[in-house]
Amino acid sequence: MTTATITLWIIALPLLVYAWRRRDNSLNKGLQLAWSTTRRNAALLIIAFIIVGYVNILSPTELVQKWIGADSGWQGLFLAEIIGMLLPGGPYVVFPLIAVLHNAGAGLGAVVTLVTSWATQALLTITFELPFMGWRFVAIRWGLGLAVPLLAGAITQALF
Amino acid sequence: MKKLKLDFTPIFLLFIALALAFLAWRKGGSELAFAGIKSGSTLLLHELPLLIAAFLTAGLIQALVKKETVERWLGAESGWRGIALACIGGALIPGGPYVYYPIAGALLHSGAGLGVLVAFVTAKSLWSISRIPVEIALLGPRITIIRFLVTLVIPPLLGFVAEALFGKTIHQIRIAMKKTSDVIDTPEVSEKSL
Repeated sequence: MTTATITLWIIALPLLVYAWRRRDNSLNKGLQLAWSTTRRNAALLIIAFIIVGYVNILSPTELVQKWIGADSGWQGLFLAEIIGMLLPGGPYVVFPLIAVLHNAGAGLGAVVTLVTSWATQALLTITFELPFMGWRFVAIRWGLGLAVPLLAGAITQALF
Repeated sequence: MKKLKLDFTPIFLLFIALALAFLAWRKGGSELAFAGIKSGSTLLLHELPLLIAAFLTAGLIQALVKKETVERWLGAESGWRGIALACIGGALIPGGPYVYYPIAGALLHSGAGLGVLVAFVTAKSLWSISRIPVEIALLGPRITIIRFLVTLVIPPLLGFVAEALFGKTIHQIRIAMKKTSDVIDTPEVSEKSL
């Protein structure tokens, strides 16, 4: 058992008990939602892990280290922010890809920049944002957020 | 209907997978091309107990947090209190962009301020409690905790900065979006204007 597995089950079990104790069908609904998320993401997850497998065996360590390694500085963080913006899909697809980049030599700062940039600046998400919020809102939110992934990565590099 | 836009993702990913398979084949023939699939599926099987816990947690949070509650809670909020509440609401609201942007849109029309809306969307992006289990499962607890701590102040901060610098534009945004939703309601108008 890894730390991650234990942590997750420590979160999941009390929620299970709480949902069951509420006796308002929360447990059933939660399990159904979990199952439908699993089904919806299964194919993507498999493709994502096949990509991870290929990156593993091709081990482009030199390439990854050179571009977004721990010593790649601001240029590496900048590149990580651009990659983060372009990453498609939800967490089930994006996190395995970032994890394999980390294994192949991406620095901790670059990883934090990647996750933050994907979370706040992803271009694909804007296609959902525009019809509901309008271009002015998108311009303000996205524009103000531009520096955040870079700074988050730089702070990570300085502290950890 | 909105979900259709996500169909770009599998195509893009499949393209990357095929490109990598081709690279592996060029480098080491069919043996290496199969090794990639084998390595990936071994890893996936290894991560399965984690993924099950992550999916379970995300599903339960989704069932326990009603989006109507968050919506009612944040409508017409603005200023300090609104930004603080929006951060909590954004962290609690489960689901992808096709869930929370319609909610943000509803909040916009019900009178929420710019800072509130920016804080809501940013908190959803960075504090989302239903995504953190997935992040722990796939990136590991250490990276997740560091990433979370380093970006902890961002949702309220961006909310305040947006409100301070551009707070007044919210009226323009609201009027513009009201017009657009009218146009969407009457498709023949938009067809003619094309």
